[in-house]
Amino acid sequence: MSGHDFHPLIKQLLDGDVTLADLPAELHAEGEAALRLLAAVDRTDVSMPAVTWRVMAALERRRRRFLPWLLAPAFAIAAALVIWLRPGTPPPSAALVTVRFVLVAPEARQVSLAGTFNQWDPQATPLVRAGTTDVWTATLTLPAGQHQYAFVVDGARWVPDPGAPAVDDGFGRRNSVLTL
Amino acid sequence: MRPASQADGEIVRAVLAGDRERYAQLVERYRDRYARYATRMLGSMDAAEDAVQDAFVRAYDQLAQCKDPDKFVGWFFLILRNRCFAERRRNRTSASLEAADEVAAEDRTEGVVETAERRRALQLALLELTPDQREVFVLKHVEGLSYTEIAERLSTSVPSLKMRMHRAYDKLRDELRDHT
Repeated sequence: MSGHDFHPLIKQLLDGDVTLADLPAELHAEGEAALRLLAAVDRTDVSMPAVTWRVMAALERRRRRFLPWLLAPAFAIAAALVIWLRPGTPPPSAALVTVRFVLVAPEARQVSLAGTFNQWDPQATPLVRAGTTDVWTATLTLPAGQHQYAFVVDGARWVPDPGAPAVDDGFGRRNSVLTL
Repeated sequence: MRPASQADGEIVRAVLAGDRERYAQLVERYRDRYARYATRMLGSMDAAEDAVQDAFVRAYDQLAQCKDPDKFVGWFFLILRNRCFAERRRNRTSASLEAADEVAAEDRTEGVVETAERRRALQLALLELTPDQREVFVLKHVEGLSYTEIAERLSTSVPSLKMRMHRAYDKLRDELRDHT
């Protein structure tokens, strides 16, 4: 315990397990100081009324933006190559599977992967360009099961993987489906 | 006319069945409940609003994966939590004085300079905690949850939470030694 640590009884006081009256007299001053600290906690309610329309507008904007992508870009030839963790042996139940995602995208400046495995975060999983080629790859280890995903080109264009089956997400967008 | 207190599960099922607009009801219902959590976690109302919005959009994307639609809110909380943690990781060094000032802006009506100053100092000190420590502090002392409720929400144990909290107390004491 460093010189700046609270006495264990003070921590119990802050937790609400004991009261100031339960503390020995020599700890009263420290206890009062600690309670002043808690009294400074800001419990003011926070309201974000704009969030409702912002969320609904974002969903609507995205729905419209993705409509053109029903016509998947001709330049993108993609494939997901599945590499079992232990080649030649079936994965155990609840297995993890290493998957290599590949996208050929000559004009892309950056490519990433968004899917159910990364909360559809387009910044979470960047693909790396292989040298000076047009091939972008990312290798992930995913739990066995079904995953949906799409490539995100230049941070804005969502491209389904033409090499994989796809499902409609209900907004006109096609999500690729990978079953491991 | 639909009853105002329609169960979350019923709304979730309606949205999944194609009634997209109904999602606004869930956003309306829960945005402010978690606005304060996100604000205290991120130290900035702007960042918190973005996080809450983004979490709702992500929740929409993954709605089919909400295993128990009647427990939508607990499931949504975990998405928001992950978003807040990711944001803190991205902006680890940006716990700024400006952010604390922004969060403590409601102090203007307090009328007690000393309390306002202590509150501002506490908000700054909270930003020095690890995200895990800050979270348990916020859930207990801002949101008013018990350790048991927090443990259920985060799928962890009470002793583990207490250990986290007690470290947070010591860190806060160290940070606030001139204010207690």
